[in-house]
Amino acid sequence: MNKLFIRILVIFWKDMLTELRTKEVITSVLVFALLVLVIFNFAFGMRADGMEFVAPGILWVALTFGGVLGFNRIFAVEKENSRLEGLMLCPVDRAVIYWGKLAGGFTFMLAVAIVITPIFLALFNLPLFLPKLALIIVLAIIGFAAVGTLFSAVAVNTRARDIMLPILFLPVVVPVVIAAVKATVPVLAGKSWGDILTWLQIMIAFDIIYLVVATLVFEFVLEE
Amino acid sequence: MNGKHSLRNNILLGLGFALMVAALYMVFIYVPTDKYTGIVQRIFYFHVPVAWVSFLAFFITFVFSILYLWKREVKWDAIACTSAEIGVVFTTLVLITGPIWAKPVWGVWWTWDARLTTSLVLWLIYVAYLLVRNFATEPARGARFSAVIGIVGFIDVPIVFLTVNLWRTQHPTAIIFEGGLTTPMLITLLVCIAAFTVLYVLLTIQGANLKSMETDVNRLRNTQAE
Amino acid sequence: MENLGYLFAAYTIIWAVVFGYVLFMHRKQKKLQQQIDLLRESVDEWKTMDDK
Repeated sequence: MNKLFIRILVIFWKDMLTELRTKEVITSVLVFALLVLVIFNFAFGMRADGMEFVAPGILWVALTFGGVLGFNRIFAVEKENSRLEGLMLCPVDRAVIYWGKLAGGFTFMLAVAIVITPIFLALFNLPLFLPKLALIIVLAIIGFAAVGTLFSAVAVNTRARDIMLPILFLPVVVPVVIAAVKATVPVLAGKSWGDILTWLQIMIAFDIIYLVVATLVFEFVLEE
Repeated sequence: MNGKHSLRNNILLGLGFALMVAALYMVFIYVPTDKYTGIVQRIFYFHVPVAWVSFLAFFITFVFSILYLWKREVKWDAIACTSAEIGVVFTTLVLITGPIWAKPVWGVWWTWDARLTTSLVLWLIYVAYLLVRNFATEPARGARFSAVIGIVGFIDVPIVFLTVNLWRTQHPTAIIFEGGLTTPMLITLLVCIAAFTVLYVLLTIQGANLKSMETDVNRLRNTQAE
Repeated sequence: MENLGYLFAAYTIIWAVVFGYVLFMHRKQKKLQQQIDLLRESVDEWKTMDDK
């Protein structure tokens, strides 16, 4: 059991070091997410009133599309440097590779969210300390990462690599997006836990189901 | 190759034709007009079976995707893929006939209710299935990847439906029927469901055979090239 | 009999799409048959070459 965990950590740490050295993915995704926030603000006419209806949606569009960009890189970086075959030659359980990459993807998205969310809250003049929002974001990111890591491995092995990931990813994570947005609305309005409980349950269920299914199915993606 | 099955196929063909004629008779002559929504309501008798069959098709894709990943028989991938194709065609029909029915009855082309929204997401997921097959670097990979999509996508369906349902119960939803289903309506619906299910079976058998043959022919051509 | 146009449109589209799909499969089958015939020809060629 411990050996598995260490192997996962190794994969995770290798990706972390690579990214920390260049920081190219995180910076571009951060800038992109920020741009989404700004553009959507203009798209909705910058009205002062009625903004509480669109604000949650804007946040989640920024996080979702930023996430798609980021997840593309999870396996693309291996493919481009011809490291994918090397990775597959390692005599490790495929699920280990999945969880290692998953940890990387999750951490990456978390970093993006940590930067973007306070900016978002400030831009829309909302309170900055919202632990409920933090929980919603963490649960949603787990779901995104579970699906995104799996589909990234699929997409990277196809011809239309960059467009294939969003096409695969976005329909499947619809429940997460719906639940996240519906939960964010009452949180931004200062309501209590009771209002968001069902949405949290949906996200937790989605996360568990997809973590399990993706783990089971991942070996078929990285074959031969 | 069709020899041993041609009796079964001919029976299915005859049955399918008879059921379709019966269905048309029941929809247009037998069943009385719905007093609440008028004659447009008759779209329901084909719209619902088409939706049911598309769901059946995706379920078959799910099952045969699992079987294919397990045993790697080309025939099973052929069934999974054909079923997904038919599923997309039928879901397209659901998404077209739904609004055609909705516009005169509710006054809007589209409503984000649980059934229509789930159909839309379903359509997107299985279009992705077909695209992955198309864009894969080799057919074997395409089969494997799309099998994964077929499994992962199908599991999403109940989750999407539940989530959208929950989302929509916070808004007033349109009611499909003021009354319930009367017996003639129920019989008509069942005949139509039967007719479309047989049609689905026929199309799947035909399509899967075609795909198996395609794979064989391609393999032969590759060995010939060497 | 209002909205008859909608009813007609719905049923026509269903018929057209199903028929279109059947046509699509038919065309694939014809192409496949052509490929099989080509293969058969080249197998015959190989056979006659082997005989010589």
